[in-house]
Amino acid sequence: MSHGANDSIFKIGINLTLACLLASAVIAGTYALTAPVAAKSKIALDNKARKELVADAQDFKAVDGKEGWFAALKDGKIIAYVVPTESKGYGGAINMLAAITTEGKVIDYTILKYNETPGLGDKAEKPDFRKRFAGKTAENLEVVKVPSEDKIQALTGATITSRAVTKGIKEAVEEVTAFTANQKK
Amino acid sequence: MKNLWDIFYKGLFDQNPIFRLALSLCPALAVTSTVTNALAMGLSVMFVITANNVVVSIFRKVVNAKVRVPVYITSIATIVTVVILTLQAYFPDLYKELYLYLNLIVVFAIILARAEVFAAKNGVVPSFFDGLGMGAGFAGAMVFIAIIRELFGAGTLMGYQVMGASYDPALIMILPPGGFVLIGLMIASFNLIGEYQDKAKSAKQGSEA
Repeated sequence: MSHGANDSIFKIGINLTLACLLASAVIAGTYALTAPVAAKSKIALDNKARKELVADAQDFKAVDGKEGWFAALKDGKIIAYVVPTESKGYGGAINMLAAITTEGKVIDYTILKYNETPGLGDKAEKPDFRKRFAGKTAENLEVVKVPSEDKIQALTGATITSRAVTKGIKEAVEEVTAFTANQKK
Repeated sequence: MKNLWDIFYKGLFDQNPIFRLALSLCPALAVTSTVTNALAMGLSVMFVITANNVVVSIFRKVVNAKVRVPVYITSIATIVTVVILTLQAYFPDLYKELYLYLNLIVVFAIILARAEVFAAKNGVVPSFFDGLGMGAGFAGAMVFIAIIRELFGAGTLMGYQVMGASYDPALIMILPPGGFVLIGLMIASFNLIGEYQDKAKSAKQGSEA
């Protein structure tokens, strides 16, 4: 092992520090450029996602006192709520947006963030699985393994994901039902 | 030019990252259940490996040999982060499809291996072509595996139904065990072809001598 000028621990440390500094500068610069654009495209994407959930809605309004809740308006009347819900899936948290009518029926949902197995669990965000939820009320939201009209049939090879999504949606339905019941009082 | 072509071409077959070098088998297994995912992942890796080879090659004379690996990893992580931030801002839809896999690219063995084996010892232009070739070989292998897995495992290609309605998909092809078996068979057949080529070459040299 030589102890030449280039091998001193100080030089090695400086070398690594400089590399990290340069890397941080590049990332910081990119972030500064992209952050405002990213924020804008996120809002646009969120609104588009809500619009896809409640096709009839003309406008969306944030609900006071409920973080992340949006009321879907049609002709000035609330027809549905779009609420965020979370559940624990096979690969960690699944963040969803659920659209629930004021009567407590599921319209549709979308998955915002998940970490499920590609090819199996990620089928939970495909229309094929989502339409199994349409029109369901809280008591019908139960996972079964056989084809079923009034219950939710699990995805092949992704039972845990199916259960997690169903549980999250069910919670959202219950919350909306409680919320609308409160409002009527 | 011949030289650069050779550098590019060796990544496709002779030193194909997945089938010959047996590197980065984890993504080859995890992300190849659908062709779309495999293609997106392959292209992302191709970009990162090429960019990283160029960066490592530019800085190869100022990086201390004792800290080269942390420096390479920092470089890869920086490039991946820049890719993520850019996709997030300008291609949110594509980002939504890919974000599951993008972070994983940082720890792909093949990228670090090319930085260490090639880019650290060669100029910028050959390093660029080495990265491009290795990336193309990786992407090609990913898509090839994915085509077989998706076709037999789901009866579709890129989401479109290909097999007739009477085809009963073999679920095992989509599940990890099917991937293992398929990759094993692919590596075996590539080795067979390689052996055959070596034999043909030495036979030729023998007759010339």
